Amino acid sequence: MKTSLRKLAGLLAGVALTAASALANAEPLKIGYSDWPGWVAWEVAIEKQWFKEEGVDVQFEWFDYVASMDAFAAGQLDAVAMTNGDALVTGSTGAKSVMILINDYSNGNDMVVAAPGIKSIKDLKGKKVGVEIGFVGHLLLLDALEQNGMTETDVELVNVPTNETPQVLASGEVDAIVAWQPNSGMALTLVPGSSPIHTSADQPGLIYDVLAVSPSSLAANKEEWSKVVKVWYRVVDYLYDPATRDDAIKIMASRVGISAEEYSGFVEGTKILTLEEAKGFYDMTEGFKSLYGSSLISDKFNVDNEVYGTAEDVQSYIDGSITLGM
Amino acid sequence: MANQWFAVRKELKSRPRTMMAILSFVLPLLIWSAVSYIPWLWHPMMSVTEPGDVSYFKVGTLVERTVFDQEVLNMQQADKALPQGDRANPVYLPAPHEVAVAFYTAFTTEPQRRNENWLHESLWSSIQVIFWGFFISSIIGVPIGILCGTYDVFSRLFEPFVEFFRYLPAPAFGALAVAILGIHAAPKIAIIFIGTFFQQILVVSNTTRKLDPALLEAAQTLGAKNLSMLFRVVIPGIITDLYKDMRILLGWAWTYLIVAELIGTSSGITWFITQQARYKNFDNVFAAIMIIGIIGLTTDLLLAWLGKRIFPWQRAAATA
Repeated sequence: MKTSLRKLAGLLAGVALTAASALANAEPLKIGYSDWPGWVAWEVAIEKQWFKEEGVDVQFEWFDYVASMDAFAAGQLDAVAMTNGDALVTGSTGAKSVMILINDYSNGNDMVVAAPGIKSIKDLKGKKVGVEIGFVGHLLLLDALEQNGMTETDVELVNVPTNETPQVLASGEVDAIVAWQPNSGMALTLVPGSSPIHTSADQPGLIYDVLAVSPSSLAANKEEWSKVVKVWYRVVDYLYDPATRDDAIKIMASRVGISAEEYSGFVEGTKILTLEEAKGFYDMTEGFKSLYGSSLISDKFNVDNEVYGTAEDVQSYIDGSITLGM
Repeated sequence: MANQWFAVRKELKSRPRTMMAILSFVLPLLIWSAVSYIPWLWHPMMSVTEPGDVSYFKVGTLVERTVFDQEVLNMQQADKALPQGDRANPVYLPAPHEVAVAFYTAFTTEPQRRNENWLHESLWSSIQVIFWGFFISSIIGVPIGILCGTYDVFSRLFEPFVEFFRYLPAPAFGALAVAILGIHAAPKIAIIFIGTFFQQILVVSNTTRKLDPALLEAAQTLGAKNLSMLFRVVIPGIITDLYKDMRILLGWAWTYLIVAELIGTSSGITWFITQQARYKNFDNVFAAIMIIGIIGLTTDLLLAWLGKRIFPWQRAAATA
């Protein structure tokens, strides 16, 4: 009697498992994305229905950036668009991911914007800088200081949420702020005479924007994910083809709800990588010229600023095999 | 004459009543218009119309007046071309006509992409979130509230915990709601529910307690039992007040909408508001806020009108 019950339970569990895995296979890949030019570009493929053409079932979900990482951490998404630094932070709290695709690196969209009269990072000595401590803007600032032979102690940091930096600079409470688009651009227009004294174009590769996939989904659906990557490079081609660039930007602009003219400026500050360019960033070398090196620097920054306690195994966050195999 | 306008606790006649109602909207609009269109009232900025030789001025640049005056002085001293400009308000205070235009274009702008919504479709999704949050809260909360107001045993059982829980901020449950309910409408509905439910129990039980005890005693004398007491005395006795409570609570539910819709995927009217604010298009932001106000007020007026039809005896009581 007992054994037959156990058998029955085992059978039921087996049926449940197969049903669950069958369901899992039938479910589309859920991808969260948000308002950053390198990710908004996915919209082109969605609008043109290229995923369907490629035969991969995906479902893109539009979020606020932080909400998208929360949803990924809660296990509601198979992948999320985030920066390499945030992938480490999200991973340190339990939602590990693997970066399989580099969309872009910031090429000027992240800026140190200084009030009128301040012309260089060196002028910031002893001044107040508004920055969201522990986030990429902070990392950009530290790097800018280092390039100019200074350290964090040479300036006074004021912790300001990034989307409030324009108003804070305008209020005169600080002498400079660190922000990314659209906030950095808003700061420039809100405070006439202010100027970007350092941008991510001065240190390309400080921040990479990637597609980070949950390891279990990657293992179970590797073929599907390579189709997703393939579609991405179709988007990149479409964006770089002079004949279709305007159409691509029009689609992207409508996603974020502003005019195409205004949006093209944001696209300029983002270096969206072609397949050939992207392949060069997967070497496991130190320094900003590789995803690995950049992530190592982020990791150290995160530990130094107590974003998380112990260093992450950076190498395990990167899987370039799909891109390199294209 | 003055007596008619300032009679203590007497209702105004119908014409002055309508006048006052219109005035209550016209007055704020007048103040807003005055601040927007009369330059010397506020207008702390200058909008550059002619940059002159000031290096960083462009046509349309907004600068503070002191900065502008300083630059004029600088240019005078350097013998260079003077900048010119008009007085203007800061970017976050658009003029009424700008908001009116934004209001119109927000509704008439066609979706550019396959998966984009018309504004009224976004609004509809917001309204559905509100409706379901409020509906689910009501079908559970109202019966519990009535029981608590009628029987002490339920009051002692439920109310201490409810009192505790109503202080917990609904938005704090966002992450939990996403983890359990997914990323679409369900977690948003849950936030509206949490925001409404606990207040609802207390409000309804309080209303139930206010029922005239003489009615209950009379019914008991006439031999009413527990169930018939509840359904034939208590509920009919409080139904008009209950209806009023529900109208107020529905307004309450609306105030949770923005927080609720920030959870999970960006959707509804909140997506429109936060995104336009991010790009500093405040005319659109104001237009959207007004849409919410208009929807709220219209629903409330509609419910009030409906209430008069459903409970005609209440109108008779009011005019008597």
